[in-house]
Amino acid sequence: MIFSWQHIIMLILSCLFIVWFLYRPIKSGLSDADSNIAINKHRQEELAIDINQGLIDDEQSQVAESEIISTLANELKDSNKDSIAIRPMNWSISIFIFLISLSIALYSQLSPKVLPSSQDLSEPVSMIESIEKLQAFLEENPSDFQALKMMGLAQIGIGNADESIEAFEKAYLINPEDIDLLLQYASAIAATQEGQFDGKSKELIEKAFNLNPLSVQVLYFSGIVAAHEGNLNGAIEFWEKARYLTPVDHPDRNIIEEAIDTVSNLQVK
Amino acid sequence: MLIEVGHFALVLSLVISVLLIVVPSIGLYQNKSSLAQLAKPLVWAQSFWITIAFFVLMSAFLTNDFSVKYVAENSNTQLPILYKASAVWGSHEGSLLLWVFVLSLWTVAVSIFSKRIPSNLINQTLIVLGAISFGFLLFLLFTSNPFERLMMPPIEGRELNPLLQDFGLAVHPPMLYMGYVGLAVPFAFVLSALIRGQLDSTWIRWTRPWTLISWSFLTIGITLGSWWAYYELGWGGWWFWDPVENASFMPWLVATALIHSLSVSEKRGAFKQWTVLLAIGGFSLSLLGTFLVRSGVLTSVHAFATDPTRGLFILIFLFIVIGGSLVLYTWRSSLLQQSNPFSLLSRETGLLINNILLVTAMLSVLLGTLYPLILDSLNLGKISVGAPYFNAVFVPIMIPGVLALAVYPYVRWKKDSALRVFNLLKLEWVCIVLLTLLSWVLITKNIFVLISIALFIWVINHVGALFLRRLKAKSKLSMSFLGMVVAHLGIAVFVLGATVTTQLGIEKDIKMSLGETQTIAGYDFVFNGVSPHSKDNYSGFIGDISVFKNNKIVTQLRPEKRLYQTGMPMTEASIDPSITRDLYVALGESLEEGAWSVRIYYKPLVRWIWLGGLMIALGALLAAVDRRYLMRVKS
Repeated sequence: MIFSWQHIIMLILSCLFIVWFLYRPIKSGLSDADSNIAINKHRQEELAIDINQGLIDDEQSQVAESEIISTLANELKDSNKDSIAIRPMNWSISIFIFLISLSIALYSQLSPKVLPSSQDLSEPVSMIESIEKLQAFLEENPSDFQALKMMGLAQIGIGNADESIEAFEKAYLINPEDIDLLLQYASAIAATQEGQFDGKSKELIEKAFNLNPLSVQVLYFSGIVAAHEGNLNGAIEFWEKARYLTPVDHPDRNIIEEAIDTVSNLQVK
Repeated sequence: MLIEVGHFALVLSLVISVLLIVVPSIGLYQNKSSLAQLAKPLVWAQSFWITIAFFVLMSAFLTNDFSVKYVAENSNTQLPILYKASAVWGSHEGSLLLWVFVLSLWTVAVSIFSKRIPSNLINQTLIVLGAISFGFLLFLLFTSNPFERLMMPPIEGRELNPLLQDFGLAVHPPMLYMGYVGLAVPFAFVLSALIRGQLDSTWIRWTRPWTLISWSFLTIGITLGSWWAYYELGWGGWWFWDPVENASFMPWLVATALIHSLSVSEKRGAFKQWTVLLAIGGFSLSLLGTFLVRSGVLTSVHAFATDPTRGLFILIFLFIVIGGSLVLYTWRSSLLQQSNPFSLLSRETGLLINNILLVTAMLSVLLGTLYPLILDSLNLGKISVGAPYFNAVFVPIMIPGVLALAVYPYVRWKKDSALRVFNLLKLEWVCIVLLTLLSWVLITKNIFVLISIALFIWVINHVGALFLRRLKAKSKLSMSFLGMVVAHLGIAVFVLGATVTTQLGIEKDIKMSLGETQTIAGYDFVFNGVSPHSKDNYSGFIGDISVFKNNKIVTQLRPEKRLYQTGMPMTEASIDPSITRDLYVALGESLEEGAWSVRIYYKPLVRWIWLGGLMIALGALLAAVDRRYLMRVKS
């Protein structure tokens, strides 16, 4: 758990603020009876206005008047009980203990175990170092989806396709609908099949397509699957859609155009 | 470290909400006023930490802190600063934080503007609001934590949904949430009255202004949403009966019934049971809307959250809130039995008819929204319930409602005679018939437009005459009365705008080549071509269309086709607005030889729809500051 002086100040401020009002309680305002008397008086005044404006006839206004009076009579219960005094010190201590212990307990459950340091953002680390860091992190957080995904990517980056697939499989079990994961997982499997997108890798790409048929990456990979199956027209169709969705100056556009050109030339030949 | 401060602030506010539920409750139960009075400071402390958390998240967006997963997934360095700020509520987690933040604002407002409300009632109300806040904070922290960190932060973040990169997004959700969440306040008042067994005049009086204010915000939120959809989605439509739109419209309908029902309960002591049910229903529908949007059971422009765990949490919360409230209602129902009598022709009956129509309309919308979901979940097939169903069912229910709203302000409380009302209004009715006939001869033969004109004249004539009568009689015009006048006129304006734009609007999907002219509704649209265009975080094309009428230039329209980094193409319509009509152009696809597909719309009176909505909201705000809610009470 990450806990700092800021957290301590926040806790102390909260406790002091609340406890202050135990020693200096806000004065009680109106009682129910005072409020009901005032409101029903006002209702009587409104009734008089309604009579003047012809919004109720004389006979009915008398009925309404008596209704207001009987309502008030019903509402005026004897509720004037004297307030019981409390011992502010006991309550202060209880509130202090409760607030501090429960806040820290909850926060220790919810907060991250380690913080991403500024070094993570500024200094690039080697792939091996990344994997070591990730392994250490995953030992403490074996169900961290992002870390598993990172691990899969890092392992494939150094050519460990089997370890990569293992990490992706674990991530897949946690969130089977993450588009990036589906594509990366499919690529890792394809890497063990001489680049062929069939079997499970094809299923993963089809799943990604069902989830987001407008994703450029998904369309690109769907085109590859189609091309591998010999469906060149289908592949071109997918890539044309991907090209349409990619901004003119986007670097991925060249890759897509290249793929289209290659397959088109194949068709011509 | 700032992120951890924000995270811890949320944890603190959750713990304080537990204190808010427990300590003042002990005070109220054991008659220890020092403990009961702690409700207000606890609310302030809780609200303070929620505010801190909210602004910490906003600062993470503004400083591009991609170590926060939510920021990395919804913002990038290229995003304009306004959208970085509004991206806070651009997706699920932040949107939930906004919900909690708005709830805390409402709770603080109740605690501050409560000098005229008995202490015990206000403390109990704050406890109920604290309990609602506890439920949502629990949901936020355990299923939707916006401060979740990424162990390896990306150098660049992803794109905020381009549809949401718009000024409309910056204002529509906060307004809608103010209304949605605001319905928690009348709910809390009603529940407090039920818990205390004190179902007296006080809770009825103080429930109404809060309902009016939240209803006003809800109206503004829905109106802004409609306006945003109109110009941003590029279809020229203003209401799509989208399930998420319906999710905000259903609580609006029930809250409309509630403010009318409250006026009877407040003035004549009738409908109390019904009023209690409506207050519970209004907030329950607001929670149902949250469930529909957050659970992922709906797929729409709005449904950016697709997580069944979250759905399950809200569903359980929904059952606890509705179930608990109804159990409490049954327990206290004996205290609600007394209702003052009224005859068949009376103002009370008119307001009852209004309530029945509004609730029936809500049920018809609810059926159309939930039916496809129920069928789908039972594996009975997929069906789509769209505008034809809603228009066919909703409109006929509301027409008698519009007729009644004009006449019933003339009817007396408790008992009246049909002959008196007829004699009072016969001149108006003759005038209305003549004006409608005149419209038929001079303006239109379209039956739907004619009906809407007749309804417009009907409401304007009745409400206007009522206003003039009050002025003539030199009666004091209360804010409540003025609010009613403005809101009812707003409905007339809305009805006319909605019908005319739907019936007489013109839409053309055409191919336009360079220099080509298309004539629509007497306007000549000349296509001057398209040029490349790029800005901040998108690139694309911008069209140039000159509009002429009688050979005089009216306006120059520049519709855009944008491509964002995600590759998502976006259409930005160009609109020439005016009170009588909008000229609306959207760029379609690039075709051969420099030609483009273009959508051109002529939208008569479309602005009246939103003008009507704003008038309705203004009417509610006027009624909320009526003298009766500002009176001083001495203890």
